[in-house]
Amino acid sequence: MTMKTRVVSLFAIPLLLVACGGPLQDAAPADGPIRVVATTTIVGDLVRTVGGDSVDLTILMGAGVDPHLYKPSAGDVRTMATAQVVVYNGLHLEGKMTEVLEEMGGRGVEVVAVAEYLDPKALLPIEGFDELHDPHVWFDIELWQQAAACLRDELVRIDPDHADGYRARGDAFIAELAELDGWVEERIGSLPEARRVLVTAHDAFEYFGRAYGIEVRGLLGVSTAAEAGTADVQQLAAFIAERKLPAVFVESSVPPRYVEALTEAVAARGGEVTIGGSLYSDALGSPGGPAETYVGTVRTNVDTIVGALAE
Amino acid sequence: MARESSPALEVEDLTVAYSEQPVLWDIDLVVPTGDTMAIVGPNGAGKSTLIKAAMGLIPAVAGEVRVFGRPFAKGRGEIAYVPQRASLEWDFPTDVLDVVTMGTYGSLGWFRRPGAGERDRARAALEEVAMGAFERRPIAQLSGGQQQRVLLARALVQQAPILMLDEPFQGVDAPTERAIVAVLDRLSDEGKTVVVVHHDLQTVPEYFDSVLLLNVRAIDAGPVAEVFTEENLRLTFGGRVGVLAQIAAAESGG
Amino acid sequence: MELFSDYTLRVVALGSGVLGAAAGALGSFAYLRRQSLVGDALSHAALPGIAVAFLLTGSKAPLTIMLGAALAGWLATLAVGLVVRRSRVPYDSALGMSLAVFFGIGLVLLTVIQKRPDAAQAGLESFLFGQAASLLREDVVAMSALGAACLLLLGLLWKEFKLLSFDSEFASSLGRSVGRLDGLFTLLLVIAVVIGLRTVGVVLMSAMVVAPAAAARQLTDRLAPMVALATAIGVFSGVTGAVLSSLIPRLPTGPTIVLVLSSVVAISLVFAPRRGLLWRWISLGRLAPSAALDPVLMHLYALAQQHPGEPDHGHGIAVLRTMSPAGVDLDQVLENLRSRGLVERVDEGLWAPTAIGRREAERHLASQNETAS
Repeated sequence: MTMKTRVVSLFAIPLLLVACGGPLQDAAPADGPIRVVATTTIVGDLVRTVGGDSVDLTILMGAGVDPHLYKPSAGDVRTMATAQVVVYNGLHLEGKMTEVLEEMGGRGVEVVAVAEYLDPKALLPIEGFDELHDPHVWFDIELWQQAAACLRDELVRIDPDHADGYRARGDAFIAELAELDGWVEERIGSLPEARRVLVTAHDAFEYFGRAYGIEVRGLLGVSTAAEAGTADVQQLAAFIAERKLPAVFVESSVPPRYVEALTEAVAARGGEVTIGGSLYSDALGSPGGPAETYVGTVRTNVDTIVGALAE
Repeated sequence: MARESSPALEVEDLTVAYSEQPVLWDIDLVVPTGDTMAIVGPNGAGKSTLIKAAMGLIPAVAGEVRVFGRPFAKGRGEIAYVPQRASLEWDFPTDVLDVVTMGTYGSLGWFRRPGAGERDRARAALEEVAMGAFERRPIAQLSGGQQQRVLLARALVQQAPILMLDEPFQGVDAPTERAIVAVLDRLSDEGKTVVVVHHDLQTVPEYFDSVLLLNVRAIDAGPVAEVFTEENLRLTFGGRVGVLAQIAAAESGG
Repeated sequence: MELFSDYTLRVVALGSGVLGAAAGALGSFAYLRRQSLVGDALSHAALPGIAVAFLLTGSKAPLTIMLGAALAGWLATLAVGLVVRRSRVPYDSALGMSLAVFFGIGLVLLTVIQKRPDAAQAGLESFLFGQAASLLREDVVAMSALGAACLLLLGLLWKEFKLLSFDSEFASSLGRSVGRLDGLFTLLLVIAVVIGLRTVGVVLMSAMVVAPAAAARQLTDRLAPMVALATAIGVFSGVTGAVLSSLIPRLPTGPTIVLVLSSVVAISLVFAPRRGLLWRWISLGRLAPSAALDPVLMHLYALAQQHPGEPDHGHGIAVLRTMSPAGVDLDQVLENLRSRGLVERVDEGLWAPTAIGRREAERHLASQNETAS
């Protein structure tokens, strides 16, 4: 080969690789399950429960992954682009995926943001940001029931062939959630009032606090992408010491360091606080464990909280 | 081999190359003890390279250097080196005395600090180059000639029998040139050996006993009277020898 | 101080102070060796080291993280050395390349790791900009031990590093192993960088290495004071950043430290005596670099000496023109000298040196005469 031929063929290689990538959109198989991609495990749980066998589900983020920080890889983008439906939480929970999700909508993929179907008046605002809402809606089981209803209706619209299945499973899930809601109210209610304070790594539990009458404090604010300053740690440590709280909680998807620093700070003030356990905040537990479903996670979380605070 | 009978410096087959281009080719050189030798040649002849390679500062492709008959690695302590002053970053936060004191570091280990004795030696060297009043002057404030004298003092402090100087007369004022020549004379009287890369052909017969004519290869080397001829200069400089150099050559009797 | 009775502030301030000290001291030598970029490269290269350390051990203990970071930094310098020796790529290009490549690998590893269930547990993303408020006692203990070791070694090897920084060729001629000294220095620099990773993060760490040295250089002409000043500036910035972050909620500590440091540098650049911009502006009448004494002034002075007792006796431009080389724009030069207060126009087209100008000329001649003795 001459030099010129070599150079030209070098340029040809990447072009060929791209061309061989294959078509981006395959036609849906006639009667098979629809391909759905969910972002977080929590949303994924919703899709699996309502969708059942009619959906072929892929979840992007694993257990213990922080959705505030997650950046989609090229592989993820491909997965989403070849699906028929992408379901995500919305309200900027998946903070680093906004552009990609918008693009999916443009490419003809059905994009469903379950939290964004909720009535804005029911949502909690974020301190200091007037147009934005706290995205951690799944902690209020009533709100999650509404999200389930919306997803059910959307699936019926997108895939009418399996409408009956969606409706049946959706309604069953909503009923199960009603029962769960009652159970949580009872459990939290069993705590003495002075103990009803939940301190965690970030402000994920505001909805939980509002729905079940428990005071909630987080160190990092609504998104874990922020960095806490020394003042924030000091103020929270002072609060904990003052209220004589027995326990604070780490989260499965956030590094425990901040909470550890918090306990050291409280100890220096003469308080005695321990880490009461790990809560599943922005993700479900690992598959195969008791917290692998939404319902399981809620039960596990509440047991952990009540167990630690009741002492 | 007895030290007195060996020449101060012997270079054999020294070859240096940069990316396969020879910069110095097969240099053989003998510098007799007590000699004051100039190395002259056109730009790019490898003059600085020769000194640096002989000192082991740059790697050589081939060749051997012996100091008083002993291998260079053993004899390195006998040579004091004065680099080109332009190769240093003079905007360094230190003073004249400190730089000259650096010449004593060779006799201290890694961990010993220079003491009063070392500083006194440095002061003596500074006096010799007429820079005694400048002890505390920050080196960033020195003129070119002053810089050169400081570097010379630093080498003198080492009290080595051999000195190698790279273009010490380049761009210095008259008082500095006089000071350097005075030092060279004193060293010669004491039987020290001095090798100087020199750029000014006109002063070769006046300042030096012998000369090496260099242009990648060694053209000729030996006492000035014998070697510093018009013919040799033409061979070295490729016919571009100026009038002054010709006069100089004529004066030296070639 | 009342402020420091708070535990968190004590911890964060101590950690930041140690970091500032080590970075300031070692950064001074890096600065003098014109190797400030090395600090930048080392800190960026640390990212893949941290990621690999986590992947291999699953641990987030400070020493593990630091070891991974240090090894990666070390590898980066070896890579740079290799590239420089085997190719024609100049040193700082090789450094920049190494920085980018290693950092890129680090980001890729972060993306890979983020899929793992325990990813967020390690908090590796926090190493990009630091998480000073989350410093634990064990972190600060490790940092202080390493910082102290660093400074101790620096003190012991002071003259060696001074020699290495000023004239490495001369060091070589004395028989010093420059390669070994260089390696030791790089090691100390790596340690200083690694100390700071959890506090200010990979991206901002380079500021800690460069800025204190740059500020200190403006303020002194001697080495020991410069290093001491740089260390002090580093400590000051670290502690002040921690204090500010403890007084104002939602102010991240790492970036605050760097902001304090930048302010110190800016102030130093403008207000430093003799080398500062403001000083030069005041004393020279314009922002010129250190003045070389103008030959035209010397000519005017020489002419004025012909007329002792007549300080206002001016000389015309035509005379000056015969004394100056062709092509010199005398009008511009005279205007420059005039604006600097060195000469004055005594009459139409006639110029004479001012008292200041005469003093300057005399000083210059005196120093020249000194050298002649």
